[in-house]
Amino acid sequence: MIEFDHVSLRYADGTQALHDVALRVPRGQFCVLLGPSGAGKSTLLRTVNGLAKPTQGSVRIDGIVMSPATAAKLRRRVATVHQHFNLSPRMSVAGNVLSGLLPAVSTTRALLGWFEPRHRAKACALLERVGLEPVHLRRRAGELSGGQQQRVGIARAFMLDPEVVLADEPVASLDPRIAHDILSLIRDAARERGATVICSLHQLELARHFADRIVGMRAGKVVFDGAPDALDNAHVQALYEAAPASGHDGSPQLGAVPALAA
Amino acid sequence: MASQAAPAKPIPTPPAGSRLAWQLDPPFGTRHLLVVLAALAVLLWTGHRVEMDRMVVLSAQAIAKWIGLADESQVAHGIERVAKSMWPPAIEEKVEVARLPELDRNNLPWDARLETQQRIEKRMNLQTLQLEETVERTEYLVRPWGYVFTVALKMLETLEIALWGTLLSVLLSAPLAYLAARNYTPHRAAYLLSRGVISLLRSAPELIVALFFVLAYGFGPIAGVLALGLHAAGFLGKFYAEDIENADTKPQEALEAIGAGKLRTLWYGVMPQVMPQYIAYTLYILDRNVRMATVVGLVGAGGIGQELKGRFDMFQYDHVATILAAIFVVVFLLDQFSARLRARLL
Ligand SMILES: Nc1ncnc2c1ncn2[C@@H]1O[C@H](COP(=O)(O)OP(=O)(O)OP(=O)(O)O)[C@@H](O)[C@H]1O
Ligand SMILES: [Mg+2]
Repeated sequence: MIEFDHVSLRYADGTQALHDVALRVPRGQFCVLLGPSGAGKSTLLRTVNGLAKPTQGSVRIDGIVMSPATAAKLRRRVATVHQHFNLSPRMSVAGNVLSGLLPAVSTTRALLGWFEPRHRAKACALLERVGLEPVHLRRRAGELSGGQQQRVGIARAFMLDPEVVLADEPVASLDPRIAHDILSLIRDAARERGATVICSLHQLELARHFADRIVGMRAGKVVFDGAPDALDNAHVQALYEAAPASGHDGSPQLGAVPALAA
Repeated sequence: MASQAAPAKPIPTPPAGSRLAWQLDPPFGTRHLLVVLAALAVLLWTGHRVEMDRMVVLSAQAIAKWIGLADESQVAHGIERVAKSMWPPAIEEKVEVARLPELDRNNLPWDARLETQQRIEKRMNLQTLQLEETVERTEYLVRPWGYVFTVALKMLETLEIALWGTLLSVLLSAPLAYLAARNYTPHRAAYLLSRGVISLLRSAPELIVALFFVLAYGFGPIAGVLALGLHAAGFLGKFYAEDIENADTKPQEALEAIGAGKLRTLWYGVMPQVMPQYIAYTLYILDRNVRMATVVGLVGAGGIGQELKGRFDMFQYDHVATILAAIFVVVFLLDQFSARLRARLL
């Protein structure tokens, strides 16, 4: 269970990215974050793995507060799937997947890249699970297609058997069919292990299809929280309505909003 | 949520003569012109101070002499004299047997032979007060390719100095770079200290450092290796560290997010990215060290440079010619080699 206990976060430059976010995500739930650009979805996800620190409130994972003292321990239980895959492009696919295991191996093994047989076997099993072929093992990660890279990213994320999977727009740069496959993969792999998923998305249909629960965010606040069926057009319109002047994408989107209502 | 296409709007043209809120200035103005003029004035002044005007005049004279327009040119004369004394380059090695007391005549070196030269000398006979011709015989030990072998051996030593200098610099700069990378340094004091060390190493030219090491370690390759290694460690430390700082943060963030720790993040998130650049820098240093190793030899730090200095000081320009040819060949081969290696590794 992940608890956001009245989390507020203000960046050093004064941007209020999160404003009093209170949420409980029970174990095993697939929770989708929706909201316009700049709503604070990425920031919220980053408070869970400690890459962003709340200025007020706290995040608890199974009752343990995320803090610099507990970060090292908690982070092992939290895996992240990234929008831009965040692989080492020049490293082999095998190396990238095995790097998901780094916190759990000795320094000597880590530096030599000499992983235990059971770990190597696990990497292979996960790569097969995400739908890659044995020939991909030695290929450089940067040479794979986006969809394949995200599959490698997912395999890496599951190397440490995480209890929580954070996915920040994991399919933003993939075509619709592959996006669907990738999200199924994340959902199913998480389900097999009873892991909780928090996933930010920009595609309403995908959110509706995969979510157990949808959390709508806008300007750092939670403005919708409920089952996918409960999210109707009025909610969607309110969620994505043109932001007041501070919208960081500038004016071009202004014209697009009336169309959304139609 | 079907979106309705907005009616296409034509791009508006402003009425002639109206002032626009937007304006795009031409790229140059009077200020740029003034700056260029000032720079030109400074260049003229310093150019005179470093005798660029005299250089032009002397060079023009030399060219005029060579194409037959002038009779005299100091520069042309100097160049011709050196060129003449450098040709032909020394190939053989010839030593008077009288100066080799240890020589075993029955067991000569494999490539050597003995040669006797006769010279007719006119000498005044003090009794008859007449000029008499006497035949002087001198025996030489001749090795027909001897000097080429000597130069090759010295060249090998130079290459070895360059190799070990490069090795030393890599070993020194790797930990320095880790401490001097702002995002990975374990402590701010370590960062400042290592940046200081790197600047210090870089600021000391090899030749001057070699001079001091020759005083400390004596003539020979030790001084060369240390001088090259320390200077290059400064260079590599700076560039290695900057590559770590500028590396793409995405893979690093992925590892940080799972709590991999700094060292492992550096190893898996940064090293694979920067490795091609590291190899390129190191090859450049190897290339540079070969050239610098010949130079530091001039102050006695071993290798071909030491040989060059010796011959130069004894005005044996034919030997100098052989050495210069050898350096040229080696640098040329090295260029080819490192270009090929780079193409393969990157
Ligand atoms: N490192 C940072 N420093 C300062 N401000 C930041 C930083 N990261 C994000 N912000 C600001 O915080 C706000 C929330 O950003 P965040 O990235 O969480 O939004 P998001 O919902 O993930 O947007 P998107 O859908 O475009 O990814 C934005 O106004 C953004 O400009
Ligand atoms: Mg985001």
